Amino acid sequence: MNTVFSVSQFIEFLNDSLAALVPYGDVAVEGEVANFKISQQKWVWFDIKDETGILNCFMTTWDLKVPLEDGMKIRAYGYPKIYQKSGKFSITVKAIELVGEGALKKAFLMLKAKLDAEGLFAVARKRALPRFPERVALITSNSAAAYTDFLRIARERWGGVEIDVLSVAVQGIQAIPEVVGAFRYINAHAREYDVCVLTRGGGSMEDLQAFNSEEVARAVYGSAVPVVCGVGHERDETLADYVADTRAATPSHAAEIVFPERLEVLQSIAHYCARVNRVVESNVQTRQHAIHSAVSRLDSFFARRVEFFSHCSERVGSAGSRIAERVRAAQQNVAHAHARVSSTFEHIFEKIFERVAYNERILKTLSPEAVIQRGYSIIYTADGTKPVTSISQVDTGDRIRVKLKDGSLLAEALKNLNSLF
Amino acid sequence: MAKETKKIHFAHEFKELEAITEWFEKEDIDLEEGLKKFERGLELASSLKEYLGKVENKVKEIKAKFAADAVPEDDTDAPFES
Repeated sequence: MNTVFSVSQFIEFLNDSLAALVPYGDVAVEGEVANFKISQQKWVWFDIKDETGILNCFMTTWDLKVPLEDGMKIRAYGYPKIYQKSGKFSITVKAIELVGEGALKKAFLMLKAKLDAEGLFAVARKRALPRFPERVALITSNSAAAYTDFLRIARERWGGVEIDVLSVAVQGIQAIPEVVGAFRYINAHAREYDVCVLTRGGGSMEDLQAFNSEEVARAVYGSAVPVVCGVGHERDETLADYVADTRAATPSHAAEIVFPERLEVLQSIAHYCARVNRVVESNVQTRQHAIHSAVSRLDSFFARRVEFFSHCSERVGSAGSRIAERVRAAQQNVAHAHARVSSTFEHIFEKIFERVAYNERILKTLSPEAVIQRGYSIIYTADGTKPVTSISQVDTGDRIRVKLKDGSLLAEALKNLNSLF
Repeated sequence: MAKETKKIHFAHEFKELEAITEWFEKEDIDLEEGLKKFERGLELASSLKEYLGKVENKVKEIKAKFAADAVPEDDTDAPFES
């Protein structure tokens, strides 16, 4: 019995059958790009063709990770689909790999120019690597030679490091999302790592194309942990190398960059110890010299002081005796002065006494008593109270008292003669 | 698995040893402090040497799925080429 579908049902049936027949990721279509165009910055259309056939392809700019242009040889991963509204068959492409040196080289140069213009390779943003890493994230395939090479060199050079291996596909369609996912993991655990190493061994440009993809380049650029990238052989250059903080030529070289060499570090330690020893020894020597010279300086200082003090004490001794002498002389002077003063005073007093005696004698001579004693007499008034010194005091007939040396007489003035005799 | 040695922060200790060496190369050093630093330097040097002599690297695989979900989205509503 014939099955009858509506158009829409039949398209749906065909799409289901195609999806079952061609599981995503299992099949790729290889061919040359033609009629490449982008509309509204969102939708990408192109044809993929070979000498005899052509297929329409559709994809979003989100899924377009490589620069594309007509004539490039590619491998398109996606699923076939008939669109309901147009009935048109096309491949919905989810990922593209470039094929052939020409396409890869062209894409590489285009993307390199773009990323360079954006500043992804700027030297100024490159971070220094830790000198002694303790935790290292290693993004590589654990089945590749690069992995064993890296770990061997790491072990030969250094120890005590925790190496977390983030095993990823390093080529093929899964390589880009896995490498990008590994960086996402590292950024989420950034505090646990000192350095991240992205590495794989050598291969053709096609093999290395994940490392030339914009997505991986941006993942390296966005890494929160400094990245060392060692992809391929010496001559291989990838965009991931350019973006990385440090570029290594090979996986082994990456290990040499990341890990210090035990022997060199041991030599450094020995060298530091020797330097410190030298300084300490020379310091001790310098200080010993300083102590010796200080001691001898102190010796000579004290010797000089002792000499000075003995000299001083001598001088003080002689000064003492000189002072005693002076004191004695002064005492003598004082005694002399005293004697001189005494004799002067004595002399003065003598004179005074002489003078007093003289005056006394004079006074005695002049006293009325003395006059009377010498034979003179003094006339007083009759009552004897007043001496009569003038005739005016006595009238004729007045009584007068005459005082002599051995008594007195009461007399009468007989006559005033008005002459002395 | 190798027996785990005493965990030391090699980077820190090495830096400290370097700092001590630099300290000794200053113009004037205080001898008393210098002797302390000298002893610390010897201690560091011997601990660092011991570390270098013994330890191995520990390699651990992170068991995580890194790739984003690879199942394609439905894009039925995508516009068509005109």
